[in-house]
Amino acid sequence: MSWAAHDLEPYVIQKELGKRVAFVPMLLGSYAPDLLSKWFVYGVTFAGFELKADNPAQFHRGWPGFGFTHSLVFGVLVGLLLYVVWRNKVVAYSFVIGQWAHALTDTGDTVGTMLLFPFTDHLFALGAWAYAGQTGRYVDAGAYFSGLGFVWDGVFVVWGILSWRVLTRGYFRTTVMAADPFWRWAGRYLSESTLVALYRASFFYGVGRWTAWLIWAHVVRSFAFDLRWGGPRWVPRVDADELNAAPACRCPGCCSMKPRLGFYGAVAVCAVAKGHSGSIREALRSAPRRRRRSRRKPRT
Amino acid sequence: MRRDGSPSTLREALVRGRRELTLYLAAGAVYVAVGVAVPELLFAWAAAVGYLLLVVVAVPFVVRRLRQ
Repeated sequence: MSWAAHDLEPYVIQKELGKRVAFVPMLLGSYAPDLLSKWFVYGVTFAGFELKADNPAQFHRGWPGFGFTHSLVFGVLVGLLLYVVWRNKVVAYSFVIGQWAHALTDTGDTVGTMLLFPFTDHLFALGAWAYAGQTGRYVDAGAYFSGLGFVWDGVFVVWGILSWRVLTRGYFRTTVMAADPFWRWAGRYLSESTLVALYRASFFYGVGRWTAWLIWAHVVRSFAFDLRWGGPRWVPRVDADELNAAPACRCPGCCSMKPRLGFYGAVAVCAVAKGHSGSIREALRSAPRRRRRSRRKPRT
Repeated sequence: MRRDGSPSTLREALVRGRRELTLYLAAGAVYVAVGVAVPELLFAWAAAVGYLLLVVVAVPFVVRRLRQ
């Protein structure tokens, strides 16, 4: 899991794609995978009852569990749903971009994400920093900000600051507002200063909490830095091969691949081939004519 | 953005928006200080957004009104 990257990724992507993306759906996509599951990972106490997942990592990233929210297909399905409701392609694929960014970023920890679910429940994990959600939110924070996780978030903090232009009022007016229907709608009720503050809020939150957690973990508390791959080693971590009853496997996407992957893949290839067969036939039919035409042109 | 439509440099943007930038930096410094003291606040996105709106929109608005 990442503690600040999901807040900052949309700004970095916004800088690269400009008017081709809508910011609010992209931000929602970036938050979506954890929106329904994170509270249950750490647990909440409500009216004297503690609600918490028995196996937080399995619930958060696995199947059975809410791990499907971290798959690429989940982003596409919600994007399609948004398209059906709003009939706006930019809104739909902006959500997909945000959700994919989240799913791909979370492959950095030792649990990883089921990127290709439902074709396979294999967890794709780079294992750069320890997944320690099961230890509770404060130990998890201490561990995350002592390993390579905070370095990864730091990359986005620096990248976000280097993308400062997207935070300016002029950029918001000319690019963000022009591409995103949400801001045009909200602009009817709120002042521009309020809209700009709302637009910058996630950046503020990401950079602010990254700085605050770093100070908290190493000045207020004394968590030890351990920047080794898969660290910090002092925290009990969960690994991808402990979930989904997957065998210990080092090569991504091979051992836990199930036969249904082949089946779905074959169906997808057939569907695409069928869709393209007409246009290919048409292209083949028209190809000689084009050649003849192009030969005639120089003579005239 | 300049008047002729060309993008402004970082220095120009900072000079033009220095009051706004100062406000955001001050808000950020206070947020970090309070967050370190009460880390529970750092989990709430809505609290951060509400706080930001209060500091950079509501307070300046009230101050402007009182000055008039």
